[in-house]
Amino acid sequence: MLHVAVIIKLEPDFSEGNVSYNSDGTLNRAETKNILGPHSAVACNAAFYCKVRYGAQVSVGTMGPPIAESALKQAQILSDAEELNLYSDRMFAGADTLATAEVLKNGIEKMFGGNKIDIVFSGHRASDGETGQTGPQTAWKLGYTFLGNVIDFEIDLERKVVFAKRVISLQGMDTIIEEIESPLPVFITIDPSYRSIFNTVSQRLAANNFRKEASKRIEDTGQYLKILDGKKLELDPKLVGLPGSPTIVYRVEKIPRAKTNRKAEIVDPSNVNNLAPVIEKLIQISRGK
Amino acid sequence: MKMSKLTSEDAKSKTDEKYRHIYVIIEHFEGRVVPVSLEMLGEARRLMDDFNQKYDSAEKVVALVLGSNVRSLCEELVNYGADSVVYANHDELKYPRNDIDTRIIVQIAKDTQLIKEISPEYLNTFARPRYMFFAADNIGRHLSSTVLAELESGLASDINKLVISDLDIRHEHKTKGKTVRYEKILEMYRPDFSGFLWTTILCLDNKNPEILREYHPQGCSIIPGAFKPIDRDSSRKGTVIEYSPEGYQRSKIKILNRKVVEKTIDYDTSKVIVSFGRGIKDNPEQNIRLIEDFAETLGAAIGITLPLSKKPYQLSQTLDSKYMIPDRVIGTSGSKVAPSLYVAIGLSGAVQHVAGMKESDIVISVNTDENSPIIDESDIFIKGKLEEVVPLLTEQLKKQIQAISIRSN
Repeated sequence: MLHVAVIIKLEPDFSEGNVSYNSDGTLNRAETKNILGPHSAVACNAAFYCKVRYGAQVSVGTMGPPIAESALKQAQILSDAEELNLYSDRMFAGADTLATAEVLKNGIEKMFGGNKIDIVFSGHRASDGETGQTGPQTAWKLGYTFLGNVIDFEIDLERKVVFAKRVISLQGMDTIIEEIESPLPVFITIDPSYRSIFNTVSQRLAANNFRKEASKRIEDTGQYLKILDGKKLELDPKLVGLPGSPTIVYRVEKIPRAKTNRKAEIVDPSNVNNLAPVIEKLIQISRGK
Repeated sequence: MKMSKLTSEDAKSKTDEKYRHIYVIIEHFEGRVVPVSLEMLGEARRLMDDFNQKYDSAEKVVALVLGSNVRSLCEELVNYGADSVVYANHDELKYPRNDIDTRIIVQIAKDTQLIKEISPEYLNTFARPRYMFFAADNIGRHLSSTVLAELESGLASDINKLVISDLDIRHEHKTKGKTVRYEKILEMYRPDFSGFLWTTILCLDNKNPEILREYHPQGCSIIPGAFKPIDRDSSRKGTVIEYSPEGYQRSKIKILNRKVVEKTIDYDTSKVIVSFGRGIKDNPEQNIRLIEDFAETLGAAIGITLPLSKKPYQLSQTLDSKYMIPDRVIGTSGSKVAPSLYVAIGLSGAVQHVAGMKESDIVISVNTDENSPIIDESDIFIKGKLEEVVPLLTEQLKKQIQAISIRSN
């Protein structure tokens, strides 16, 4: 039996109507709703694919305050998870990526009764924090092979091997698609361009059945939910939260406006004639050599 | 060349520190050094020159490069600012693979014997690098994470400004509420996703007696394009050191195939780029269509601002998967462009966006708000709603183009 974990994150909802910006362009966190992050959702889809294709059991984990339960619920809809884990403790507050990875590592090790997970999926980065560090750091602490920027994957259950395609795009260089093979267990961060596709009728049927199952399961999330604090996770308080974080946020400031050497000519478009010189310029440049 | 020249005698007088040097992790591709690596070397050079003067020391910029046939890159790294280059050369290292690269970089970082060749004056005290720089790209982002996880130290990502200073810190945990002086701290500036806020991140030892712990190196990943390389100087001198990894382990990752994909969006060859931002919000679907039509008439490529890549709107699948993607982002988190003409539609001009387009020859913006920062980057500012201005521009353009083609026939 294949065991799959998904690590997710509750994030600000950037969709119009839900996101709120301050007048200076910064995010108004108090007014903005939180949802399951879009990259986390893609990771859930990858786990669901494992369920349909390989009969995997899925466990979802997140570190956060009690309200993060709502993200777990959304993740269960997408992945039909058998297990939901909320790692929640006051002492986790203020954690940087290293201290977060410490919690997630112990959490993953305890899923399905312990040391069962073959593949961990996570989104490639969170929309709000955007560091993209937590995944690979958790992988390293777990001792799992880390595969980043994965756009597609297949598993050979007999050989316990994953085949993956990943994208590598470096500044000023050609984009490369790399096909790789690695023995399980692995930690995969899924690229946002990943789409799970079910090709055969039986796969589509299975997917439908699991979706139905998921919608039943979320009626009674409590049955699947485990809330684990630092003690239950057997964490060393010195390695989590603020005490376990090498980094601190020292200062937050507005970025000063960029220096400029342009002086804009302001054009009023209510009179079409005012646009004539603009059009001329547009044509000149776009058609010029 | 301007460098504080100290004799090793001078330096010896202050050799009690365990952490020394900036280690810069170099990336290369098909025999070429990736530009961000030279940019990091440039910034490391500037920081280290100031550092050595200020602290009366002789610390180094050390470049680390892994690969096969990488010996030939080493001189170039010296020309661009490295004092020492440590390279590991092996067929197994031909392409970046996180597991093996992490282990070797960590070995090099902890290798005190290498210091004999890099800076013999620090041989007896050296434990680890003081600072470590990685690229914030597909390779460096993950590599920095795993290397710093193994070294159990702090890492800040996506940095575009660095300052080294002595700071008085008062922190509940780090200093148990007391004010404590920290020396030679790397202030790592990180722009947030909106491009309007800068967060400064520090990696600090715990000086609180209850949780006493040292966190070095102070690590960061650096945004490509954020810093300038120094001018290439072929007369620069540096030491090149080959490193043979001990207890050599193979990677678990087998590379089966690598192929180049055609770029779907190529801003480098685009003469005209039309970009849009959250100004499309009143009717995103329709407004994108208007902009599409306009761009097509101009023969322009289309870009977006970073917030749009967060998929803030409900759109048809065709428009969503075509435009609301990270590949289209112009700015420090995406592409840096310099077309002959840049048309900025309904975008406010966050610093992180401006950094990606300010080299454009001519900038025309369409915006309702004269106070939005994009006006500072514009040659022409059309004040109006994009819903009205854009179709008008398209219509006028089409008329003119038709007139020209009739004339030329």
